[in-house]
Amino acid sequence: MSSFWFFEGLRKGRKTEKFPRAPPESPPLRPSRMKGEGFHECPTDAIAEGEWVQEKCIFCRRCEEQFKPTGEQDIFDVKRTEKILMRSIHLYRLDSGSCGACNTEFSAIFDPQYDAHRLRIFETNTPRHADAIVIMGIATDGMKEALDRAYEAMPEPKLVIALGACAVSGGVLGDAPLDRDMYDVEIAGCPPSPYTILEAIDRARGDSHD
Amino acid sequence: MKHYKFGEARGRYIGPAGDIQVYSEGLVRGESGFRKERHDHEHDGQLWFDYGPSTGGMLESVGISFLTPGELISETLVDPSFKKRTLVVKGKSVEDALLTVERINGFHAASHSIAYCSAVEDALGINTDAGTRSSRIVMLEMERVRSHLEVIKRLCEPAGFGVPHSQIGYIRERMSRLISSVSGHRYFFSANSIGSAAIDSKNLLGETEAIGAEFARVYDGLLQSKIFLNRLQNNGRNEDGQHLIGPAARACNRRIDARLDSPSMDYSGAEFEVPVAEEGDSFARFAVRSGEIMQSLSIIRNIAEGPEEEGREHDTGGSGEGAARVESPQGDLFYYVNVRDGILEDIRMLSPSMVNISSFEASMKGNIFTDFHFNWESYGIWISEAGVEFA
Amino acid sequence: MIDMVLVLLFGLSSILGAMHRRLGYYSIMAVSAAFLVNTALDLTYTGYFSMIASTVWILVSFFSISYGERYGKWLSSMLALTIMGMSLILVSDNYLYLIVGWEVMSVPSYVIIGLNKSDSRPPFIFMMFSEISTIFIITGAAYAFVVTGTLAFQSVSSYVPMLLLSVGALVKMGMSPFMISEWLPIAHGNAPSNASAVLSSTMTLMGVYLIVRMMLISPHQAYVGLFFLIVGAISILFAAMYAYVSENMKMLAGFSTVDNNAAILAGAGLYLVVSSPTLQVFILDTILIMSLAHSVAKSGLFMSIGNTDGEFFSQIRAKSNSLNNIGTFLSTMSLSGLLPTIGGLGVWMLLEAFFMEAYTGGFTGIISIVVGSVIALGEGLATGAMLKVLAFGSLFHRPREMRHDTGAYAVLATGAVLVALFAVSTLMVNSAYIGGLPSVAVFNGFTILSKFTGVDFGLISPGYIIVLVGIFTVAAYYLFGKPRSRPAPVWNGGRKLNEVYTSYAYSNNIKLMLSKILRTRVTRSGQHVSIVDVFWAAMTGTGIAYRKMCRFVTLKIMNSSIGWYMVYMMAAFLGTLLIFAFAYS
Repeated sequence: MSSFWFFEGLRKGRKTEKFPRAPPESPPLRPSRMKGEGFHECPTDAIAEGEWVQEKCIFCRRCEEQFKPTGEQDIFDVKRTEKILMRSIHLYRLDSGSCGACNTEFSAIFDPQYDAHRLRIFETNTPRHADAIVIMGIATDGMKEALDRAYEAMPEPKLVIALGACAVSGGVLGDAPLDRDMYDVEIAGCPPSPYTILEAIDRARGDSHD
Repeated sequence: MKHYKFGEARGRYIGPAGDIQVYSEGLVRGESGFRKERHDHEHDGQLWFDYGPSTGGMLESVGISFLTPGELISETLVDPSFKKRTLVVKGKSVEDALLTVERINGFHAASHSIAYCSAVEDALGINTDAGTRSSRIVMLEMERVRSHLEVIKRLCEPAGFGVPHSQIGYIRERMSRLISSVSGHRYFFSANSIGSAAIDSKNLLGETEAIGAEFARVYDGLLQSKIFLNRLQNNGRNEDGQHLIGPAARACNRRIDARLDSPSMDYSGAEFEVPVAEEGDSFARFAVRSGEIMQSLSIIRNIAEGPEEEGREHDTGGSGEGAARVESPQGDLFYYVNVRDGILEDIRMLSPSMVNISSFEASMKGNIFTDFHFNWESYGIWISEAGVEFA
Repeated sequence: MIDMVLVLLFGLSSILGAMHRRLGYYSIMAVSAAFLVNTALDLTYTGYFSMIASTVWILVSFFSISYGERYGKWLSSMLALTIMGMSLILVSDNYLYLIVGWEVMSVPSYVIIGLNKSDSRPPFIFMMFSEISTIFIITGAAYAFVVTGTLAFQSVSSYVPMLLLSVGALVKMGMSPFMISEWLPIAHGNAPSNASAVLSSTMTLMGVYLIVRMMLISPHQAYVGLFFLIVGAISILFAAMYAYVSENMKMLAGFSTVDNNAAILAGAGLYLVVSSPTLQVFILDTILIMSLAHSVAKSGLFMSIGNTDGEFFSQIRAKSNSLNNIGTFLSTMSLSGLLPTIGGLGVWMLLEAFFMEAYTGGFTGIISIVVGSVIALGEGLATGAMLKVLAFGSLFHRPREMRHDTGAYAVLATGAVLVALFAVSTLMVNSAYIGGLPSVAVFNGFTILSKFTGVDFGLISPGYIIVLVGIFTVAAYYLFGKPRSRPAPVWNGGRKLNEVYTSYAYSNNIKLMLSKILRTRVTRSGQHVSIVDVFWAAMTGTGIAYRKMCRFVTLKIMNSSIGWYMVYMMAAFLGTLLIFAFAYS
């Protein structure tokens, strides 16, 4: 019986895309980079002085007369890189107060289409084994202690990754769990697509995809 | 309110939505229930073993406490309040509040937005067109398929079943991409609005066919994997499922489903069966969900060729009370709204996750810790919709 | 002559104790010291037992100077009296003194158990088993008198007196199926810890002494040896399991006593089975070392438990004391059979003896390997039980406090004695087993060699172990300094840390795995109920069944029905006829 799943796995063949070494095969329109100009009353103030502010946008489609989604997935901001994590990076996921969508999008990067393991990106079950903490959701009173303890429990060098509009800017729901100066990587999107997450994590260790 | 009246305790009891008791055919004002407290067991040698709130093994932040004399679990408490979010919706326009409501449980955004929109439409007396109604059914069923796929995927994970875990992950991602192409967003965000819904059913039929076939093969494989079945069978058995709703109740041989008895959604043209199982254990919940995946795919096939939406603009400036109930992937999801001049005055929500938590706790009695993840995942409880309050 | 004077002096201590509590304990200490010196001056093999006992008495009475404050003067007095009984047993050269000593030892112990708690059941059950033991001893002595014509300890040509006296001793030692006579008085009778120490370590030592004494003057009968081996093996396994799962600290220590005595008994059994004289002497030495290790360490354990001010692990009230903890650590090490304590040497010698006999092959070889393995298994479980006492009784969960009373010092002193005894153990072992390996700088006289023929089997060098451990520790510290470490906060799911692991949970795995033997039950609240002494349960079960049967017979059959009575009479008559017929044929 154990061989059943082995052959079943082989039968399925390779389903993993070449991304990020190649363009994404099925990039979603929302979220993706919005292009356009004009003014619109945005519920999250993601349009400031006619410019689109990626980390505040929740892709509610109200401004789509002026701003159009392009399908470009690179809506993240890497502020600091850790080269040593090129060998492998272990991520600890911390849900501070999310709606659940960021959680499932993050878990999707380990699905066969993306297969983050091939890029030596792994999940770990305790912050004490983590190279980076991935924070998702808005600030909540109940998770503040856990967030502080998790950050303290991580060994150096460590990266702090904010995943999704809530974690970066608070989005439409509340406030960001940490001060933005604390973040080394900010991934925009509500929720960010697995392409965006995968590329952002890869870039956070200085990979230039050449 | 067209379908519900206050003061009538008629039909089956569903649960509390804040201070409103929800029945399938009526509403009653009044608080109910109590939360179990964690009491001291120092003297009989038992200990409280805390798991979470933050741990890699759980998808969301939730505090679990097990009372145990060492291995067998004698009592379990689930505390969803760690990540409790206070969401500001009152005083917002009903359209703006929708942006927040969609993000109560992003993974079930279609259910929440459709239930909320239906309640607002009830309050404002808006009649939706046939195309919108069928589009919403398609959305709900697509969401149900993906939600159940996620549950089954997460059931494979603690069993160490890497291949089916990945294969269902693959199917789930395929479903997410289909949802993205149908609704414009991978999580149905902003696909619904008050009075209308828009989907693009271009690739729908071919993809659902393929997804159904792929899932059926994995499901057959899982049914032949004794190790997997052993972990699920007799795990987390519920005696009668009296306090359960959704697939967990149907796994206790209770044929209850908002698609059958809710006036908010019209499933008359969908032609579907409601799978039930008798055992009331994790395996029964797994089997019911798997059956529902196949049923939902067939509903999509039956409905997708329906009428087009008319795309009318609706006036949302009215006033009134409204209520609606839909069958979300985890069970009855109920919304009550009170709108004044297009501004949300009051809102109540009943989530299946909150209702089912106490039955989950009861079903953990006598289990051991290694059974926990299977049992937990089989219930499909989402903390984001259980730990939330409105302001 | 001096012997008897010292015995009477213990009686004087009892009177002094009745007048003044501390004076009683001081005088026990003084007389014990005199008893120790007196024996040491003219040392025989059995004299070693007197030395062991008096060492324990000195430590316990020193401990009692502070601890005894919690109890009345009666305790001091009764303790002296029971010690007097033991001393009489140890110096007796005839059966009469032995029996008198046995009773003088037993009666005050009922008083100690009975006075301390209102529950009358434990002292009565204890008394019942004690008297059963006395009956066996009297019968054995009478048999010996018939065979030898004298009450003095002389070589007897029959093995029966030894068997009878040994059974009496086994009851007192709490061997299966009489384990209740050990755990019940200590646990349920809630005996004070100093009394528990004396009862558990020296009263059972009297049992060992009696067996050894009879063994030396009786013919070797292999079947008796086999009986000892079987009883020992069963006892060691059950006692170790019960000790492991016990939540009552004194009960745990009581079962540990059964476990240790069972190992000694198995050693005695092996002595009767083996034929090699070299091995026999080695076993006698082993019994001595084991008895010494057990008695001293067990009194240390009971004193340490007394210092916790609690009965159960969950009820410990006293603060943690570093001196006490070091002493407890060493005592539990010794009881676990770990080096560098005398207990480690004892267990090593015992297992060596069994495995040497296994080498000879044949039936006894097989028995040896089986019993030896059971002992090793029991020792493993015992280590777990001792770790439980050490961790949950001394180290965990408690604020620390430096308390200067004889309670803590006595425990520390016991620990020191256990290491010191190991260091000088080469002096206690027969010179035939002392050697060395000059080629690797282990000089002659520093190594204990086990052998059953002219060839060495195994060896251990106590002095070298202690010195080398010390040297390496100091050298490592000077070479590398304090261990460097990077402290990282412990992660508890994001919550603050709470130490909630309980002693109950610690032994729960055994409770579940051995649920068939331990009869683990889960109550409605999910709590496991265990520690049913299966032997006691069987005994009471048989008693109840017998009573039921009698009632049934009385009510259903002998209910004044003349017809049934006739049937019974005829059946009885026929039965008697048949028995006579077979007897004559």
